[in-house]
Order: sequence, then C-alpha cells, then structure tokens
Amino acid sequence: MSTAVPRRAAAPSRRNWRFRLRRDRSLLLMTLPAVVLLIVFNYVPLSGLVTAFQEYDPLVGIRYSEWVGLDQFSRLFTDSLFWGSLKNTLYLSFVQLILFFPIPIALALLLNTVLSERLRNFIQSVVYLPHFFSWVLAVTIFQQMLGGAGALNQFLRSHDLGTWDVMTDPGTFALLVTSQAIWKEAGWGIIVFLAALAAINTEQYEAAAVDGAGRFRRMWHITLPGLRGVIMLMLVLRLGNALTVGFEQFLVQRDAVGHDAADVLDTFSFYYGIATGNYSYGAAAGLFKSVISLLLIWGANRLAHAFGEDGLYRK
Amino acid sequence: MAIEWNRRRFISAAATVVGAAAMAPALSACSGAPAQQTGANTESGLRAALPAYLPNTAIKPEIPGVAGGPDVLTDAGFLTYPANPIATVSGVPGRGGSYTAVTPLWGTVPSAGNSFYQAMNKALGVDLAVKPADGNNYNTIIPTMTAAKRLPDWIQLPAWWNPNFNLGGLAGTQLADLTPYLAGDKIKKYPNLAAIPTAAWRTGVWGDKLYGIPGFATGMPLAGIVYYRRDVLDAKGITADQVRSADDYMNLGKELTDAKRGVWAFDDVWTYLFPAWGVPFRWKVDNGKLVHKYETPEFLEALDWHYRLATAGYVHPDALAGDNANANPRFYAGKTLIQGGGAGNGAWNTADHESGTAATPGYRRGAFDIIAADGKSNPQLFLSNSTSILSYLNSNLKPEQIEELLAVANYLAAPYGSAEYTMVNFGVEGVHHTMVNGVPTATEDGKKNVEAKTYPFLASPPQVISNPGADVVTKDNAAWQAANAKAVYKPVFWNMNVALSQAMATAEAGQAVEDTIKDCYHGKKKVSDVQAAIAGWKSGGGDRLKQWMTDNVLQKYGTGQ
Amino acid sequence: MTDVLTIQHKNGTTGVPKAPVRSRRRSARPAWEEPPTTVGQAAKGLTFAGVLAVVVVPLWIVVVTSLSTQGAINRAGGLVIWPDGLTLEAYSQMLADTTVRSALLVSFGITAVGTVVSMAVSVLCAYGLSRARSFGHRFLLALLVVTMFVSGGLIPTFLVVTGLGGYGQWWALILPSAVSVFNILVLRSFYSGTSADLIEAARLDGAGDWRILWSIVLPTSRAVTAVIALFYGVGYWNSFFNVMLYMPTDSEKWPLQYVLLTYVSRGNGMPGSLNSGFGTLQAQTAPLALQMAVVVLTLVPLLLVYPFMQKHFRTGVLTGAIKG
Repeated sequence: MSTAVPRRAAAPSRRNWRFRLRRDRSLLLMTLPAVVLLIVFNYVPLSGLVTAFQEYDPLVGIRYSEWVGLDQFSRLFTDSLFWGSLKNTLYLSFVQLILFFPIPIALALLLNTVLSERLRNFIQSVVYLPHFFSWVLAVTIFQQMLGGAGALNQFLRSHDLGTWDVMTDPGTFALLVTSQAIWKEAGWGIIVFLAALAAINTEQYEAAAVDGAGRFRRMWHITLPGLRGVIMLMLVLRLGNALTVGFEQFLVQRDAVGHDAADVLDTFSFYYGIATGNYSYGAAAGLFKSVISLLLIWGANRLAHAFGEDGLYRK
Repeated sequence: MAIEWNRRRFISAAATVVGAAAMAPALSACSGAPAQQTGANTESGLRAALPAYLPNTAIKPEIPGVAGGPDVLTDAGFLTYPANPIATVSGVPGRGGSYTAVTPLWGTVPSAGNSFYQAMNKALGVDLAVKPADGNNYNTIIPTMTAAKRLPDWIQLPAWWNPNFNLGGLAGTQLADLTPYLAGDKIKKYPNLAAIPTAAWRTGVWGDKLYGIPGFATGMPLAGIVYYRRDVLDAKGITADQVRSADDYMNLGKELTDAKRGVWAFDDVWTYLFPAWGVPFRWKVDNGKLVHKYETPEFLEALDWHYRLATAGYVHPDALAGDNANANPRFYAGKTLIQGGGAGNGAWNTADHESGTAATPGYRRGAFDIIAADGKSNPQLFLSNSTSILSYLNSNLKPEQIEELLAVANYLAAPYGSAEYTMVNFGVEGVHHTMVNGVPTATEDGKKNVEAKTYPFLASPPQVISNPGADVVTKDNAAWQAANAKAVYKPVFWNMNVALSQAMATAEAGQAVEDTIKDCYHGKKKVSDVQAAIAGWKSGGGDRLKQWMTDNVLQKYGTGQ
Repeated sequence: MTDVLTIQHKNGTTGVPKAPVRSRRRSARPAWEEPPTTVGQAAKGLTFAGVLAVVVVPLWIVVVTSLSTQGAINRAGGLVIWPDGLTLEAYSQMLADTTVRSALLVSFGITAVGTVVSMAVSVLCAYGLSRARSFGHRFLLALLVVTMFVSGGLIPTFLVVTGLGGYGQWWALILPSAVSVFNILVLRSFYSGTSADLIEAARLDGAGDWRILWSIVLPTSRAVTAVIALFYGVGYWNSFFNVMLYMPTDSEKWPLQYVLLTYVSRGNGMPGSLNSGFGTLQAQTAPLALQMAVVVLTLVPLLLVYPFMQKHFRTGVLTGAIKG
C-alpha cells in the first residue's frame, strides 16, 4: 500500500504551485462534491460550539446568552465526576486496544486458511450479524446468559457452586465490556481486512513456499506486510478515537455496575450536560473531547510516520 | 465500522447539543431577548385564570368516586358500558376549518386519511389532520420543532418533559393564551371542559395565564404503589392488610424468596415505597423553612432499608442490574412476586390482566395499602400533579380559530359512556367496533385505526376505571383507591408550575445524587456514599436552589396547598 | 499489492498455470501447501466452533422469541430459549400492514439513491486525495479528518438543513450524511496502493486522471469498492435518526426502519404512570415477539446481500484457499 511514488519529479513546490494546480485540477475537481457537502453540513453548524463559552440559555438564544469565557471549562476541570469518566474512558480504550483491536485481524487471517469456500462463506455471513443488534438487545442477551438470574448462574446455583456476578461487578467491567465489543463487532471488523487480504497476490505465497518458507514465515513476510497499510490506518484512527469508547453500551449498563465504573466521556456529557439542561457544560465537555481527539490523531499520525508508514496522510 | 461511526457521531453530537430550544444566530430572526420567565403563579392570578368547575352528572357509574381529603376524589368505576350512549354535544362543533395536530404515540401509527379519521372529521365538522409522532423519541422531536418554530396548530406536550421543552418559555411565545376564552364562567360555553377538575387546569397555568387543556385528569393522582401477586400470596395465606410496616415487608422478602427455584420476592420498589418513611416528594416545610428531601433523616433511613433489602438477596438480580423493561414479564412469570408500578390504570388494566393470565392461569394483581414504615404513624403518600397530559394551541391562531378548536376539545372531552366518547374511543359502530355482550369490541379496522390513542391526547374526560372483560380488575382498583383515599396528602408546591432558570433546574435534577441513590438501593453503595454525594450537591447548587425557592416561590406564592 | 501480472490475469491472458479447474470449488489444497497438522486443525476447528456458538446461540434466541406466543414469553419471563409455543403472529402482523410494505419501497429507494450518491462522491474524493504531493492534498485531508472529531451539534445541523428547505424532504435523509470520512479514508488507502508504474504507463499514453480512475484504479479495487458500498448501503438501510428530525409526523414518507421502530414502541404505554413526575420511569411491557421479529426482519436483507459481496473478495487470482 505504500509503494506509490511521488508524482513527477520533485520540483520545488513553491515556485511551481501554479503548475501543480493546473496539473492536479481534475483531482481537485473530484474532491469538490465531498468538500462542499462537508462544508455545508459539518462546518456551517460549527457555530453551535460557541455555547461552550457561554452560560447558554435556550430561552434566550445564542446571541443573548451570557458569555462566561472559560468558566465552563474551569468547572469541568474541577469536577471529580469528569476526571472519573475521563479515566474510565482512557482505561477502557487501552484495554480495547490490546484485547479487541487484534481480534478482527486474527480472525480474518484464520478464516482465510479455511479451505472449503462454502464453509468460509458461511462463517463470514454469520459472524458479522451481531453487529446489527442494538446494544440494548446485546446487553439483554448477555444478561440472560450471564446475569444473576441467567442461564449460567441458574446452572451454578442448582449445583451449589455459588454465583458469578459478572454483569454487576465494577471490578471486571472493563473485561466484560471488551468481551461484549468483541462479540458484537469483531465479525463486522473482519470485512475490511478480508478485502485487503483479497488484494494480495497469491503467487507470492507459491514463490515463497518454493523457496522453502513455512506457514508462519509466509504469513510474516507476505500476508502481514500486505495488510500493513490497512492495519496502520485502522490503528491511527483508533488512537485518534481513544476518547470514544461507546455510548449506548455504557448507558444501558450504568445501573448494573454503578456509574463510577460505567461513566465514559460521552455518557458524562449526556447525563450531566443535556439530560439535566446543562447545555453549556455538555458543550464544553464535547469541545474538550474534540480538541484532544484532534491532537491525538495528529500525534498518532506522526507516530506512524516514525515507523515508516503513511498512517493517515504522507509527509 | 463506518456505520457505527455515523451512529456514534449522532449520539456524541447529541451529547454536545446546543439546547432544547436553541436559536442559531445565522438562521433565525432573533428579535430582542424575551424576558426570562421564572417564578410561579400568584394566588389571585390563579383565581382569575382558572375555569369554574361543573361536574357532569348525566352518566352514573356503578362505583361512584369516594372523597378523601380536600381535592381528593377516587376515580369512578364502571362495570358495564352504557347501553344507549347519550349525546352531550348538540350539533357539530366545527365550522369547516383546517388544522394539524401532533400527539405522541407509543405504538404503530395509523395510516393517514384512514376511515376513522374521515369519520371523526365529519363528526367534528373540521378537517383535523392528526399526525402522531413516536412517543419514545418525542423529547428529541419537539425541541427541533420549537427551535425551528414549526409547531402545529394543536400540540400535546406531556408535562413530565416541561423542563426539557422549556414550557415556561414556550408559554410566553409560541403557545396561545387561553385565559380570555376559558377563565371563570367563560368555560360554561364548553360544558364538558368545565367538568374537568380545577386542580388539573392548574397544571396548565403559567405566569397567571391559562395555556393548557388537560386530558386524563384524575382526582387521586399517584405516581405508583406496591403491587403483589395476589393469587400467589393468597394461596400462602398472606393478605394485604397483614403488611403494615417495613419490617413486614422485609419478612416477606425472607419468606417468599427462593433463589434456587428462580423466585425472588422483590423487583425494584424504591420509587414507590420510599414515601412510607415520611420522605416528601421533594420539599417539606419545617417551621416555615424549606427542607429538601435529601436533608431529611427519614430519607437516609429509607435508603438504608432498601440497601439491606438488596444485599439480603431478596431483590431479583435483573432488577439490580437495571433491567426495567422486563419487570412485567418477570412478574407475570412469577419470578418476582412484589413490584412497584404505576398507580391506577397504569398497571391495573385489561392488558395486564390478559398478559398475566396467559402466563399463569389464575393470575391476579393486588396492591398493598399505603403504610408507614414504622407501622405506628399515620400512613401517608403524597399526590402527584393532577395530570401530565396537556395540549396547547399555537399562538398564531386567530381568535375564531381558537374558539373552533376549543369546541372540538369540548367534544373530545365528553364523559365516559357518552355518544361522543364512544365515537372518539371506539369509532363508528359496525365499522370500527361492534357491541359484544354490551362491550364495545374493536373490529379489524378498529384495531388498526382506532386503538392507537390519538384524539384522547388532545382532550379527554376525567379518568374512570373500566375494564370490560376483566371486571375483577375494576373492582380491585376501585376498592384499593377507596381504602387509601384518606392516606394521601398534597405535597408542598402541588400543581404549581415553577419556571426555573437553567442553573436551578440542574440543581433540582441532582443527577449525581440520584445516580448514587440508585447504586445504593441496588446494593452497590452504602448510605454513607449517598451522604457524601448529598454534601457535594448542597455546596454545588443545592443550597442555592433552596434559597431561591424560599425567596421566589415560598415567600411569594406559598405552598400551593 | 496488485501488479502488472495480476492485471494480465484479469484480462484473460494466462500467466502461471493454476491448479486444475476442478479444484476451484473443492477443498483441494494448492500443491505448494504443507498438509495441516492435527493439532492445528483441531485448534482451528475449536476456535471456529466457539466463535459460531457464541454468535448462533443469541441468533437462535432472537428467532425463537420472535416466533413465540405471548404466553410463552411471559412464562419464560423475557427472552425464550427453548420453544414453548410457536406462532407466526408477529410476522403476519407486520407484513400485513400496508405501511410496512410502502415503507419497504421507500427504504429501497433511499438506500439505492443514497448509496449511489455516497459512492460517487466518496470514490471521486478518495481518488482525488490519493496522489501524494497533489495540490492542496494535505489541507483537504485535514479538512476531512477534522469533521470526524468536531461537530457543531444536533440543533445547529438541524437548523442548517431546515434553512435550506430540507424539512420533510427526502434529500434531508441523504445529503447531510452522504459523506463518511472514514469510508473515504479506507478507499483512499487502497487507491494509493495502486502501482505507480501502471499509472505512469497510462499517463505516457495520454490518459487523464478521470481515465486512470475509471480504467485502472477502479477495476483493481473491486473488493474495497464492494465493501464500502456495503457499508454505505447498510448505513442508509438502517438509518432512522434523520427521519425523526425531518419528517417525524409524515408517516407515508417513512422508511422501513422507522416504521419498525414504532412497532417496538407499541404497548409501551406512557412512561411510568399517568402522573409520574419523578423517579425511574418504568417502561411498560413491550411485545417482545414483535421486537425480535423486527430484529429478524432487519437481518434478512443483509443475509441476502452479503453473499453477493463475497464474490468480490476474489480478484481473479487463485480462488480457494489463500494460505498464509
């Protein structure tokens, strides 16, 4: 994925910007529709962000709401619930990165080794279905299976083996949540990797096998490098989104494990922001998250460059 | 991953939302800042704005209402539907005007222009396009409508969302002032509306002006009570009058829980049982001073008891995990034997009876009486607001249009068993319903188009208890109400519409404390944790709220008793 | 990692002779493969069995519940695991409803149009940004990426769309969310991997960027194009939020997902009792069978569409096992 060669000779960009503009005008034209749509529907509404610097009162509107400068932010940074939710978010993000991120890749690789096409197609078609369950349904199913009155615990109870309260234990919540995410999203996540695997030239395998490379060496030297571009892209995006670990999933389980363990940034903004009419507060939390996320993705991209990868965009 | 992206983006966009009734500067005409309406209604202003009350005596119920304390009247009970519905409205109320109305609907939406709507339009004499919107998402839909100033001619706004929709602000701007048409004796022009109790009209008054038309009013409004599986407990020889104190409940917990067989005594009961300790709804007045419920020792006692109930293992694990959606299936299947539920027709109705008997033949829902936790003091339960269902007219309607719609509302509010009521709730006889054993039963057409509650949300008569086909429910409900009519009282600030500023509204919601409370009665946090949260609440806005309420509401307007 | 050799394959000319044709549909292993070890096979089998079990069991529960009578559901106290009484009631209710049927057509229309629009916009934009050092490349990319993390909020976006006359219009269901930057980034990642030599050769032949996109880049990236079309299609098929904002009361215009949502609301009653003003709002019993039937109805189109996608995961090279 990273074999593209820079266009033309490397002429000094400054002097030839007119030349490059003319040369690339079709490319620019191609980006036009998307850019126009984004400007109209994403950038224009950004005016709503000013409420983070106000004591926004919907009765009065943005124009007449009182300006408080950075007050909302100072309230935010002295709110222990905010820091708690930030801590949860980062912790969960980290756990998910380690435990969840590799799984779709591993599954895709494993699936690829299945000989029977029919079996492979069957597994592929089935394993992505939980993606379409809502989180409410997913958690209900988990509750039915693993909850205090669920199938597993009834079994344990009837054999006098005590109970395992995994659905209500804040200590194991991170693992529970990651398992739920794996169950629900791993199957869907393999799709992109399958597409990438399909683009690898299999003759390379044959050539390598002929040269004496075994199963694992072929994977290490051919498959993984072939996936590298996509993996790096996903990784950079995941790191940039470290502050987003989910919303509905946590909202639904807040009561079960207590809000200390379950509150993440998005549920914090929702609960202590809009749900209580504290709009500016929620907007401030949201703005904080946006700014940090932008920094994170910029940082992740630099990191990718340090590893010699393109990441999101090339230098 | 892309799809989740979009959904996440919407949800986190919602989390940074810019408010319920926002006006983005670029796109709407901001004409001067409207004055922030805070405060409540004055006594004299209320007296001037409220309509007179003239109860309807034409149709007699089998079980008449029983009076309790002042302003308390149990709902009348009907065991049979009147054989010859009488007409209470002569002629056709409308004059051919064209209007749109929006109501929330929890269910499938009937197709536009169906036979029922057409028949109703003919009977009403107007072209009223009723457009229901999804009830579960109503609180997202309405703020966008008000933000874009696209309210329809007639809109129903449930009162439990008043803070979200900013009713106080809307009242002054987008909703029509009905005082000139309905105050005092003017309401005699609309006899069916006059039969709605005055207490219900109070919930629609803002700033001494009348805006809302009440529906589903009741003389004994309660949030909820504690129900139990009467068939199961009767078989064990346990009756409702044996349960008189919190200790009795705890003992029931021990006696009825059998985890191995998958039976737990309790589902979530905090919301409906905490008043038994004498905890007020929100405020109490002690020696002329306002006290918030968080500050009362009774509150902590109640919490502690519920904490012990949960940790003793008497509460169903799914309830402890926050699964409220399946509370009723658990109850029907006998996995829980005691649950808290909405009062009156909320839980005690035909659908409940049918579902229960389908799961367990012989099912019978019973309710415990209101108790005092210590078993010795007088049992007390506070009343809720007289109604939560109010509809409003658009402020840009002309006076003749308002009068026309009020006449339509008068038709819709015709009493139970009248010809108009039959039309509104069951449709045309022969087309949408047939009389089977004297009970109006829906035909296929009726099931599709009439059963969805649309018109009654705009205006309806005071509630009655009626469950054709399940008379035992009517009798049980009426009997319970009669037995407990004297145990209810009007809380501080009853039926008062207080418009709070944003900061105050947040303090009132006390979200952080409420979350910790929930964790406590689910057995996860101790009472001491709740106390810490309360201390934080007090310094973070609670004390200021108390001061504000004292200065702006208590001193000026009293307690609404 | 496509290269000239692969392209030649696609055009029908032969390169290295492949395994005999009959092995295309059979489980034959290519000659250079090692035979699998029993441990390896067992481990693989176990893993897949586990994965399938964990996914199929909940699906089973959902399907069984959708086919259960209300009595069975109440007896089970919720989701039904062992069939206890079956009926097609939930499905017949939904499918007999004319609103559902017209909503189906609406959904097809929106999904088809929306996917085409989104794909057109995304493919063009992705290719436009896939050549390094092109003019304004980094600026435009930043412009795109920022929108993934920063948003003005629900109401401002609503006001923009309404201000442009979108209230009650179908384009409000398509245009505001037509662009998914994530999808564009994925496409771009694949496009930028297209061999530079190939493009260079085409340019020497006088081909412009449009030509290159159409004749070279697109044909060699069928897999990813199919995948992104799937992502967009599914997104449009499942969307309901914009419906809620822009046409909440025009039931004739609703797409399927929104109509199904109201099925789930049915029987919910009003939150809490009539006069609830505090405390937990208890939802009434929702008809579980209907809810589950709704889920099943959502899955069926996907189960039908996905197999068509799968054949794009082969780019004309050796079918069957791609061993790693």
